[in-house]
Parts: sequence; C-alpha cells; structure tokens
Amino acid sequence: MIDAAHPARSWLGLRLACNAIVVAGFATVAPAQSPPQPRVTIGYVEVAGDARYEPIIAYGRLVLKSRERPFAGAQVALDEAQALSRVLKTDFALERISAQSPTHVAAAVLRARADHGIQFFVLDAPAEAFKPLADAVKGRDILVFNATAADDSLRRDLCAAEFVHTLPSLAMGMDGLVQYLASRKWTNLLVLEGPLPDDAAMVKALENSVKKFGARIITRREFKPGTDPREREKNDPALLSAGNRDYDVVFVADHAFDFARQVSYHTQRARPVVGSIDLEPAAWHWTWEHNGAPQVNSRFMKLTQGRHMESADWAAWIAVKMVVQAALRTRSTEFAAQRKFILGEGSFDGNKGLAVSVRPWDHQLRQAVLLAAPYEVVARAPVEGFLHKTNDLDTLGDDEPETPCRLNK
Amino acid sequence: MNGLPMPRRVFALALVAWIAVPAAGHGKGTGLIFVSNEKTNNLIVIDPKTYQVVKDIKVSRRPRDMHFNADHSKLYVACGDDDVIDIVDVGKLEVIGRLATGPSPETFALDEKRRRLYVANEEGSSLSIIDIDQNIIIHEVPTGAEPEGVFIAEDGKTLYVTSEVGDLVHLVDAEGGHVTQDVVVGTRPRRFAATADGKEVWVTAELSGEVYIIDRARFAVSGKIEFLPPGMRKTDVTPVGLVMTRDGRTAYVTLGHAAHVAVVDVPTRKIQGYILVGKRAWGVTLSRDESKLYVANGFGDDITIIDTKSGKAIISIPVGRIPWGVAIDD
Repeated sequence: MIDAAHPARSWLGLRLACNAIVVAGFATVAPAQSPPQPRVTIGYVEVAGDARYEPIIAYGRLVLKSRERPFAGAQVALDEAQALSRVLKTDFALERISAQSPTHVAAAVLRARADHGIQFFVLDAPAEAFKPLADAVKGRDILVFNATAADDSLRRDLCAAEFVHTLPSLAMGMDGLVQYLASRKWTNLLVLEGPLPDDAAMVKALENSVKKFGARIITRREFKPGTDPREREKNDPALLSAGNRDYDVVFVADHAFDFARQVSYHTQRARPVVGSIDLEPAAWHWTWEHNGAPQVNSRFMKLTQGRHMESADWAAWIAVKMVVQAALRTRSTEFAAQRKFILGEGSFDGNKGLAVSVRPWDHQLRQAVLLAAPYEVVARAPVEGFLHKTNDLDTLGDDEPETPCRLNK
Repeated sequence: MNGLPMPRRVFALALVAWIAVPAAGHGKGTGLIFVSNEKTNNLIVIDPKTYQVVKDIKVSRRPRDMHFNADHSKLYVACGDDDVIDIVDVGKLEVIGRLATGPSPETFALDEKRRRLYVANEEGSSLSIIDIDQNIIIHEVPTGAEPEGVFIAEDGKTLYVTSEVGDLVHLVDAEGGHVTQDVVVGTRPRRFAATADGKEVWVTAELSGEVYIIDRARFAVSGKIEFLPPGMRKTDVTPVGLVMTRDGRTAYVTLGHAAHVAVVDVPTRKIQGYILVGKRAWGVTLSRDESKLYVANGFGDDITIIDTKSGKAIISIPVGRIPWGVAIDD
C-alpha cells in the first residue's frame, strides 16, 4: 500500500515546506559553527480532497463558510516556540503529509515514522481513518493528536492509547451548551434534526446532556431540506416550530447548514436558536477576549492574512504547544519522557481559562467549551455552578465512570 | 486623537522642538491618582483627598502602563492599539506629544539618564529601545512571543524582560540590544519587582499561580511562592502585578481572578495575609509614603485603595472600562 499518489514528488514538496518553517533561533545569538541542534519534528497528516473542507455554498456561488484546514494553527504554535528553541537547544519543525484517502493515513504515518523518525503527529482526518490507524500504531512509539474529529465513538469505543484528542468531543460541546441553557432556565427544547448521520449523532449527544443537566426535549422533529410545497411540514421552519407545546429554545442539528441558517426569525414563537447556528459550542472563537486569547488570535490572523481562528485551529495549535512544553518541562528530547509528561502531569495554557490536561481514562483533552454567537462568546463552560469534585472541566463530556474506555487501568 | 499628528520618524526633529517647550506650572507632588483604562481610551484623574474624579484625559487607544519622568512634569502612557506612548503634561493634564513604538506596547521602563525608553511590544515579539528626545526606535530586540514585564537594573545596563508565551525571562544587554541569557520560569510570566537589597528579582507567573524568585547574581531561579486565598480555587489565582516596599520587608501581589492582594514577607517569603479587592485585580502601585496601596480591578471597572497599616480596603472608586494600572503624582 502506498500512502500518496506521487510519493517521490510529495516527499520533495514536504522537505521544502519543512525547511521553510523550521524554527532556527535568533539572529542576535551568534550562530557560530555550533553543531546542529537536535530536532523534534511533528507530522501534520491530512487527507487529500477531504470533503470536510469543501466550502459551504449558498445558492449560486456565494460562500457561506470557506472551511480551511487547521494547519495554520500548528504553524502559530511552532512560531511561538522560537525563543524556547534557543533555550532548549532544540529545533522544532512541522512536516505536512498528505494521504490519498482516509484509508491511506495509517501507511503515511508509519512511513513518516520509518523514513523520517517522526513520532508526534497532528491528525487532520475524518473518523473513518482512525480504526486502521489505531491498529497500525498500536503499541508503537507514536503519539497522534486528533485535532479535527469530534466523534464520541473515537473516545468511547475505539479507545486507543496512541491518540490524544485535542478537539473537544461532541459530548463536551453538548454538555457545555446544555449547562448554559440550564443556567438560564431555558430547559424546554424543540429539536429539529437533519438527515445526515452527523446530525443524528449531535442529537444523540444532546439527549445525553439534557438528561445530565435537567433539561427536556419537548418536541423532536426531522426536517428535510428543500422547498417542495408538498413537503412543507418537513421543510418550513414556521410549520416545524408550530404546535401547542411551548419551548424555550430551538435546537437545530444541521451539518449541511443550509436549513439551519433559515431557522432564526422564521420560527412560530420568538425563541432563540442554538446548535448548528447562532449559539454554537466551540473549542475556540475569534472574539474570545480573555486569558491572552486576543494575542493568539492576532498572531493567527497575521499568519493567515485575516482568517479567523476556529476550533480545529486551536486543537492543532495546542497539540504542537503540548509537544513543545513537554520538551521544555522534561528538558528532554526523548519521546518516552515527553509522552509520559503529556499524558500525565502535563497541564497546558490553552488561553481559555483553566489549564488544559489529558484525561487518563480516554485521552481526551479536558478544556473549557466556548458558547459562541457570531460576534461574541456568550459564556464559557463549565458554567458557574456546575461543579465537579476534582476538576470542574470534567463536568464536560465523559467523566471516568461514564465511559467504557479505561486507558488508565 | 486630540488633533495631534501621529509620530513619524521624518518628523523627529520637529517633534523634539515641540516637546522641548517647558511645561509651565506642572503639578509636582499634587498627589493626583492617574488610572489608565484599556477600553475607554482615557486616563481618569482622581483627587487624593476627596476621591472625586477631577479630569478625564483622552489618550490614544488602549492605554496601559504609565511612568512619570523624574520631576513628575510628564507622564508617559503606553497605548497598545495605536502603537504609541502618549506624553501627558502633568500640570495641564493633557497630551502634549507621542512616541512611536512597535506593535502593541504594554509595559515599559524609563531610563532618564540615557534618555531611553524600553518598551515590550506584546504583538511584535520584541522590545523597542526608544530614544526619547529624537522620538526614534534606535533598536529592536527580538524576544519570545508576547513580551510583557520590563525591569531595568539600577546601573541601566541590563534589562529583564518576560515572554508570556515562552515561559521565559530574558536578560537583555541594554547597550548592545540583544538577549544574553534566558531562564525558564512558571507559566505566563508577567511583571517584576526587585528586592531592596538588589539581590533578587521577583516575577509573577499568571497561569501557574506563582511568584518566581530569580537570584540576580546567578540569573537562576532560587525559589517560588504559591498563593491560595481562603475559599478560592487554585485555578482562579492569576498573579500579575507586584510591588515592594523600600525597606525590603513587604511585597504586594495582585492575584487577578482570585480578587485578592497577597501580602508577602520578603525575607522569609511567607504569605502574611490576603486583602479582598475587585475582579481581575492586576495593576498595583504604592504611594510614596507607602501608607496606601492602589489596585486596578480590570473587570470591576474600579480601583480599590488599601490602607497598608491596617491591611484593609478604604474605598473603591469607579473609573473607566477595564482599568489597567495606577500612577500617583506624589
């Protein structure tokens, strides 16, 4: 099995890209004729033609969401490592690796390990890439940071020790959202569910969160995107939101997004909309003003010439930052020591409040969830009042007794 | 912008002449309290006796750190969103000039003997060395990401600069304009205070909730102090500002989201107590006679004045939005 369509060409391309972004210390410190420093290289593995990055387009060619890969997030973290590179006498580098399809990811990772000695990977791949990859890296000296797949099943059922999930799970997002709704006493929900499997997964996670935090799904309806008048009961938000039973908010699960954007101001009752639009749970938001976030956003915007930093960008950023911090705090370039630090005592500044760290039971990064409106972070979960006996962040997503995954046992 | 031209290097000479006009009747020792407000782009000036606001000075956007010159005729104010340091005439209570900096100046140190300003550019990963009279940046020192605290050694030859993202304190050769050494401290190091005997520099580490103590002779960490006011969670403790008394006995450390000031016995490094202040307490200043401590409460839009003898807050005074720091003309 070959991992890329044009292996020779792509590796050459990689080397060039790699050279361009190696951190090389400062010009002010005499370079002299010192021997080359040790280097920690982090692979960034993406899938060519990944459908998750196709822009969401409205009628005509109007782009609603451009959806970029989070590579820039990893680059920002690498830039931040500059000064440390000098102190640690270690270079940090990123190597961008493109796999032909999700099933080729495993081979690409193994090859990068064998040919280039890469042991840390930021994975930008859809959920279907994970099972073959988990099988391939099982028991090996490799650590893969999942920066883009929120699926709960990857944490619960796949449950692989070689992964760290830096993106919040779907469950964490829904828990954060429902905590906020509960804190406002908006506990009666009308749920509008789209036809995609991802929509169903979102509603499933919501059902769980609703149970956890004392809210209720009053009515649940499936919508069918379209304008067919014969199916108006299923495609008209006004009809879908009609009924005798009142609700506090409308929750829309719509990954295709075209229906979701037509719900606000079209509901039968004047109620806020949450879920896939208007108030969305996120790992990151460009308007987060606290904890030094404006500086992170500003560095990201500068690098990308104006793009707003999003959740997956943050997840890739923190992954690289965790590797750099592991080198700093262990004063070691040994993979085993760094891995141990990351999975164990390591706690990291994610620029969103409480320090983030890896949950030993499923290797999910515990972290705050931002509840983001288009121009403001409305609240940060854990919302005040939702307490946990050890760490309030563990009120979000699968706490130890709630998951079948037992990586710490 | 008060109709003042923004500084450009080509205008340097013209500006020198303009600034050189002596400030008539400056208010030396007025006791006035100046508070910089990040979000309302102003300095609120408070009368020390009546605690009434006597003046609202419009400055460039996002004013933060402030320092007086030696005779207190001028107050320099770093304004982060306009990349300038505004110069306020303390007598007239108005902006009389500006110095250009790098991107997003936050804190700075003033060396009047050498006529230099050292400014940490939060978004530029650099320290600008500015010639005050010529209004030019004479050198740009690369630092770790998000440099913040700047402390200038007594001889003016060495600087200490923190990098918030790098978890580092840089030692900078002020003459040569380059970093000579680095030391790793806690997470997100912020600001400095030197002990009276000159042997130690203390630096706050916001995210790890500590103060790191650096032995200046060895330029190495020689200890650290952790804080936890009663009833607070460790994660709320975000130390940022700190000041020390001249007798070398007492340090005051603002604990940010934990809404307290810690009082530390400097020789023993023991925490003597905590004083309740407002939300996100950061900027902190002592009056010259050290009888009063002024704390800017960033998320309370007010300042708290503490009587240092009793260790009690006397009054909280509403100012502008997101107060950053306090400077006293005394």
